[in-house]
Amino acid sequence: MANKKNKQKTPQQQQYEQLEKKFETKRPVLKNCIKAFFVGGLICTIGQVISYFYIYFFHFTEQTSGNPTSATVIFFSMLLTGFGIYDRLGQFAGAGSAVPVSGFGNSIISAAIEHRTEGFVLGVGGNIFKLAGSVILFGVFSAFVVALVKTIIMELGGL
Amino acid sequence: MKSKQKIVYFLFILSFLLAGCEKDYSSVSRWALLKTVDPKPIAIGDKENGADQQAVEEIKKETSETDGIYDVAVVKGAKDIIVAYKVEHMHRFKMKSIEKELKDKLKKNFPDEQFTVSSDFKIFLETVRLYDRIEHNQYSEKEANKRVKQIIALKKELT
Amino acid sequence: MLKGKQSWLFPNHPVILSTGVSGGPFEANGYLAHDFDILHDDLWMGKDSYEQAHRLLLEEAAQTALQKSEVKPEDIQFFIAGDLINQITPTSFAARDLKIPYFGLFGACSTSMEGLALASFLINYQGATKILTGASSHNAAVEKQFRYPTEYGGQKPPTAQWTVTGAGVALVAANNNQPNLPYTTSATIGKVMDMGISDPFNMGGAMAPAAADTISAHFNDLGRDASYYDLIITGDLGKIGRETAIALLTNNGWDINPDKFKDCGLLLYKENQPVQSGGSGAGCSATVLYGHLLNEMKKGKYKKILLVATGALLSPLTVQQKETIPCIAHAVSIEINGG
Repeated sequence: MANKKNKQKTPQQQQYEQLEKKFETKRPVLKNCIKAFFVGGLICTIGQVISYFYIYFFHFTEQTSGNPTSATVIFFSMLLTGFGIYDRLGQFAGAGSAVPVSGFGNSIISAAIEHRTEGFVLGVGGNIFKLAGSVILFGVFSAFVVALVKTIIMELGGL
Repeated sequence: MKSKQKIVYFLFILSFLLAGCEKDYSSVSRWALLKTVDPKPIAIGDKENGADQQAVEEIKKETSETDGIYDVAVVKGAKDIIVAYKVEHMHRFKMKSIEKELKDKLKKNFPDEQFTVSSDFKIFLETVRLYDRIEHNQYSEKEANKRVKQIIALKKELT
Repeated sequence: MLKGKQSWLFPNHPVILSTGVSGGPFEANGYLAHDFDILHDDLWMGKDSYEQAHRLLLEEAAQTALQKSEVKPEDIQFFIAGDLINQITPTSFAARDLKIPYFGLFGACSTSMEGLALASFLINYQGATKILTGASSHNAAVEKQFRYPTEYGGQKPPTAQWTVTGAGVALVAANNNQPNLPYTTSATIGKVMDMGISDPFNMGGAMAPAAADTISAHFNDLGRDASYYDLIITGDLGKIGRETAIALLTNNGWDINPDKFKDCGLLLYKENQPVQSGGSGAGCSATVLYGHLLNEMKKGKYKKILLVATGALLSPLTVQQKETIPCIAHAVSIEINGG
């Protein structure tokens, strides 16, 4: 744990922080939000097209088309990651490309590509969920908590 | 980088070409997902203006009057009646209550019939395709009834 | 000779006989491409891993420096170098192949000047007659260790910097009055400064106080000021760090001319290259100094320069443990033709 004492900055450090902030290039938050919005929306629109594609040409209903759609989107993100395009998209769009399932795929695939040099078992296998591990862990955990909450509420007479 | 880009474009175009692979007898189901097609209700094996045909006309009228539903396809098989409908976009939040309302209404008015009610696009599409083929006399009565059973089984799939 | 509190004077003027500079694809597209001896067009460089490619960069730079002076590795007493990778393995493995007695250094991105200062001191006081010193870095290997996998689509903020793929090595020797060769005249060793910055994507802002502190110490110890030098150049402060350092020095009473205060990380790349705030890495100061700057000195553009290499002494673990980033800067002054 970081020493709590260190969190209190000395007056000299606070003074420096104020000076440095003047020169720091501010992140363009609004521009980033707009870019993320459009790119994220575009990725999701493509996902919806793929979903309709599966419903129309194959034996999937709206309910069941979720699985192949995710798989296809992750497949495309794998191609883009392998070709070195996804990181440029990420620099442009930020959360817009990181939040949809394609971002999840990218985090896994980029880690796998990176650690190939250390062998398949310890290198790829051991490091593949380096970034996605927390997504999976906290996703499952929060699903559990929400289910628990819902069960308790239903038992107490419903909402 | 150039050769990488070429491969990406090629794969993109390939996916569009694959979309052209389709066998369709008429143009009604082609538009089923994109606009309101409003197909005639069908009672399999019944003569025009028989008792069954009147029943399905009535069912269609009642379903269309339900708030939020805008496109209805009805097919009556030997034992079951499929009622497939589309819900207006803004009313999608109330999907479950619309379904329940519709089921109750139909049960009340036609207590002897077995209904399968679905707002799923796939079920609607398949029902419209079935309507197409019956209209063009592509199916015998036995085949049509088999299709109805298949559509109901599809609706029950969860993954 | 010790001068002041933390500086050395080198009255025997140890001379930089020759240098070797290697670089990667990004550097090949930058402003200073013609000052590199060897350039590669991809990050793998024909090797099986980025770490091996990193080693190759250093080996090539060392071989080039030796070839230019027609000196054999057996004639070198010591090899003083370092890099950013865990346990400085690329440098150690390169040293294995060079077979020269080896000092491994870690000063993060300030390693190049740490090495040059030590090499100059040893040569000046006849602890050796020839020393090979340098530093190197490889963008993909460093990103893999410190940040995220190379292909990960995370968005870097505008304060982030780009690690240079390159190695710079110099052959330092005793001065035999060779004409038109640069020589080192003094060095100031920095102390670790920590002003409470903890954002690993803003290292320029974290390193500026260290640079300002070392430059002030240099001026105080040697009784000089900014006007003594034709150019003061920092290793990798980047856009934000450079402006902050100028402000800090000005607030301390030093008169700094912004045109004569530059940064290696800002010189390397063109505007259309996506490097955000500029270049960084142990190879940044080494490649720019041992390539471009010494060439400019030999052409007569500068006669006295002060190179201040800055380093951020963090690790991925300290960042996760929410520690701040302590930094250090080492300065070496280089002159040519009587200064």
